[in-house]
Amino acid sequence: MVNYKNYTNKEMQAITIAKEITDGQIVIVGTGLPLIGASLAKRIFAPNCKLIVESGLMDCSPIEVPRSVGDNRLMAHCGVQWPNVRFIGFEANELLNGNDRMIAFIGGAQIDPYGNVNSTCIGDYYSPKTRFTGSGGANAIATYSHTVIMMQHEKRRFIDKIDYITSVGWGDGPGGREKLGLSGNRGPVAVVTDRGVLRFDEKTKRMYLAGYYPTSSVEEIIENTGFEIDTSKAVLLEAPSEEVIKMIREEIDPGQAFIKVPAAE
Amino acid sequence: MSKVMSLHDAIKTFVKSGDSICIGGFTTNRKPYAAVYEILRQGLGDFTGYSGPAGGDWDMLIGEGRVRNFINCYIANSGYTNVCRRFRHEVEKVGKMNLEDYSQDVVMYMLHASSLGLPFLPVKLMQGSDIVNKWGISKEVREKDPKLPNDKLMEIENPLVPGEKVIAVPVPRLDVAIIHVQKASINGTCSIEGDEFHDIDIAVAAKRCIVTCEELVTEEEIRKEPSKNSIPQFCVDAVIHVPFGAHPSQCYNHYDYDADFFKMYDTVTKTEEDFKAFLQEWVYDIKNADEYIDKLGASRLTKLKIVLGFGYAAKLVKEAK
Repeated sequence: MVNYKNYTNKEMQAITIAKEITDGQIVIVGTGLPLIGASLAKRIFAPNCKLIVESGLMDCSPIEVPRSVGDNRLMAHCGVQWPNVRFIGFEANELLNGNDRMIAFIGGAQIDPYGNVNSTCIGDYYSPKTRFTGSGGANAIATYSHTVIMMQHEKRRFIDKIDYITSVGWGDGPGGREKLGLSGNRGPVAVVTDRGVLRFDEKTKRMYLAGYYPTSSVEEIIENTGFEIDTSKAVLLEAPSEEVIKMIREEIDPGQAFIKVPAAE
Repeated sequence: MSKVMSLHDAIKTFVKSGDSICIGGFTTNRKPYAAVYEILRQGLGDFTGYSGPAGGDWDMLIGEGRVRNFINCYIANSGYTNVCRRFRHEVEKVGKMNLEDYSQDVVMYMLHASSLGLPFLPVKLMQGSDIVNKWGISKEVREKDPKLPNDKLMEIENPLVPGEKVIAVPVPRLDVAIIHVQKASINGTCSIEGDEFHDIDIAVAAKRCIVTCEELVTEEEIRKEPSKNSIPQFCVDAVIHVPFGAHPSQCYNHYDYDADFFKMYDTVTKTEEDFKAFLQEWVYDIKNADEYIDKLGASRLTKLKIVLGFGYAAKLVKEAK
């Protein structure tokens, strides 16, 4: 008997991502969890959303899970195969034309209370302890689109001062983006972790806990956040239905490329 | 005029140590690996590399100490190696290579600006980030290096819109572009299927352009559908017929990535020793691209062939539960 009740934190994270997408939105996805979440949104929560990727592939509808944003699995059956520069131009024009229909997912190694993200290095930039890929498409995405930031919820990753700012969130708080030459009409809307979802206070632009998974708790999240976090608005999020878990495991990521299915007990 | 050459001769003729180089493709897609292997075999190096979305191509060159300056924005065999390991080793443990970071968008814009022949590039990107605040390569080092502009960037006011802050970025000049395409004529007219990525930009911008292709056709044949062609013959210096020349990466409408090869590369790049042994086995002990595909074997390559209609090697056989 196949078990669909034993959902994992990662599956919960993918579902939480999916629910961040509003129907009809243009969604900038990366591979991994955001793509699983967006595929789920397209099937259940937001069937009219459109997927685009930073390689320039527009209006994608992958059947098999792609490994990279330049994967042939995204290239096949997409609307248009643009070069990357057109994708950037499109993002910019969405802002210049006053449109507000994009949502994007970016990941990071470190994040501060205002949603500034580091995906470049741990330690000193000039002699890093750990070096990552660098910006990729994240910096432009954080410049031109609303973002949902994907994080592993650990104390060493949620810190007051990150080692390197790769992508600017709300800067140093209210008016922070404008000071830097960025639009205040864009910025991070949520942080989705393996323990819950955090949002940004409209006035202070500081991160607060909005919801936690049944597998987590407010105490656990405080313990795993390296800065002070307001939890007064936190609600317990619903456990996923068996249908949704079945869809992830059997239709969206049957090869378990990004989400491992727990071993049977 | 036919530009068909052997890969050996093309690399020997058109790539020089010390060159400023850009390689086409996107992380694990349409990367001209056969040409990269030949560069490694010929011992060329001291390169200034413009990464684009890089993968194992630049990781191998960096791991072998062939890169003097690396202009980075992203380097991963996505889905197999999240950050290329010889790149990490160089940056974390060795520190010999000059490394500069831009955002990927800015590198792509830079290459596009180069193809347009623009004098400099104003962007509203990277603002307020450490990509602007921290220069990977100092002004002092840049001023002494003929392949690098003196400044990483400059924060300026838009001269046409008073008060607007913009970032001015230098536009690179490339010596060599290396790309792998699905179809090229003997004279160099190219047809790219699927996403072009930055390949057309660098083919136009670079002083010399080397093209490896899956299919080599006559000029008459490629002109049957000019709307599918994207690089004219006079932008190309050498055409080399190298079937599977992008292996282990993908080539749209031809073959998929070789997942086992990328998994192996992920494993062997964990240590210097295994990496060297890998290169010995798959690059240095191999004479040319023919020996390489012989070593891979027919059934392995056949399994990578795409299923028409999917554009990749779709998993059509369901595994029994």
